[in-house]
Amino acid sequence: MKLWCSALNKPWSWHWIAYPGVWLTVLLPTIAYLIAVRRHRETDRKLIWTFLAAMFVFWASSDWPVGTLGAGYLASIHMLQYVLYTLTVAPLMLLGTPEWMARGMLAKLHLTRVNEWLSKRLLVSGVIFNVVLVLTHSPIGVDTLRSSQLGSFAMDMSWLASGIILWMPILNPIEERRTHSFAAKMVYLFVSAGIVPIVPASFLTFASYPLYSTYELAPRVGSLTALQDQQLAGITMKLGMVPIIWGTLAVMFFRWAAQERVR
Amino acid sequence: MFDGTVLEPPEPKPEFVLTDTKGQPFDFATETEGKLTLLYFGYTFCPDICPVQLAQLAAVMDRLPDVERNTVVVFVTVDPERDTPEVIRAFLDNFNSTFVGLTGTVDQVEAAQRAAGVPVAVKIGDGAGYSMGHASQVIAYAPDGLAYTEYPYGTRQTQWVHDLPLIMDKS
Repeated sequence: MKLWCSALNKPWSWHWIAYPGVWLTVLLPTIAYLIAVRRHRETDRKLIWTFLAAMFVFWASSDWPVGTLGAGYLASIHMLQYVLYTLTVAPLMLLGTPEWMARGMLAKLHLTRVNEWLSKRLLVSGVIFNVVLVLTHSPIGVDTLRSSQLGSFAMDMSWLASGIILWMPILNPIEERRTHSFAAKMVYLFVSAGIVPIVPASFLTFASYPLYSTYELAPRVGSLTALQDQQLAGITMKLGMVPIIWGTLAVMFFRWAAQERVR
Repeated sequence: MFDGTVLEPPEPKPEFVLTDTKGQPFDFATETEGKLTLLYFGYTFCPDICPVQLAQLAAVMDRLPDVERNTVVVFVTVDPERDTPEVIRAFLDNFNSTFVGLTGTVDQVEAAQRAAGVPVAVKIGDGAGYSMGHASQVIAYAPDGLAYTEYPYGTRQTQWVHDLPLIMDKS
């Protein structure tokens, strides 16, 4: 039995594989969340549905077939997972977490001070996000971590954590810890997630040879060569971020403009 | 010097005659004389190693057109019962239509494996869905007719690209 998706070193098959570790990782926080909102008589349905949407995307991008393909067959799916974890799951989780829950969780985990400190230091958050990005997309990082279930789990969790760190200054469930300057938020998001990731994405897109042995030596899925798959991964990293990052920047800009008009 | 597994001393090119995918006799030593020759024993029903090795070779040939012009990639089936010339041709065309596919009787392909110094493939399992346990390395014969290196499963494209021009120079 496999707990988490990792490279399988055998031909791809559409036969379903059970990953109980994925189910537990999705179900336990979801159940805990639902119990907590029920006990606390949380009435904001939008908040609850947002969190459930986050957990649904988390499950869909971690379980078979996406998780299996990304862990051992296609670099492009690996990249799609990255984009989903960091730019969809993480912000939706933050948007779906009630303030009282965030305060309680941070206190229990002794992370209140870390959260306060990090939320106000955009540069540090941006650097952490991009360091995780580079490390988990370096050939040695991918080939080492994707070869074992534990390594693959660690990679996926580091993506989720880095996504939460990226979005925390903007979407911190605790209102007073958010960065309130629209200009600062926009520059932060643009540089951290809109500009810097173009560098590793370009390496993938324009490399002459496959960089990851995991995907180069995997039995092929479909007609894509290993190099074409890698180029698609680079494009996914570049373009996959565009709608989310630029969409968020556009929303911020219009809110900023609206705020200025009121003044 | 080489990224592949060095053969010491270098192995001479084996001599055998099999049938190509057009149904014509193919004298391996004569037909490949003076050319860089990459010899691989596999089978078309192979689920993992053969498609990866051939995909790697196809990708490398695309990268090195100068090398490709004087290179012959020869795929010898170890499963002649299922691998008819037509099946082999269709399989190889998925990778590179210039790859040469060879077959023969069971005895002939076993003799070819022995001549090349690789373990003779064995049938695993019964019924139509059997598989073959076979040597997974590609043997690279330089234009001078000697194999200085071989390349196991797992050889990266960068390693091939590094070695093939060096082997080509051994003429």
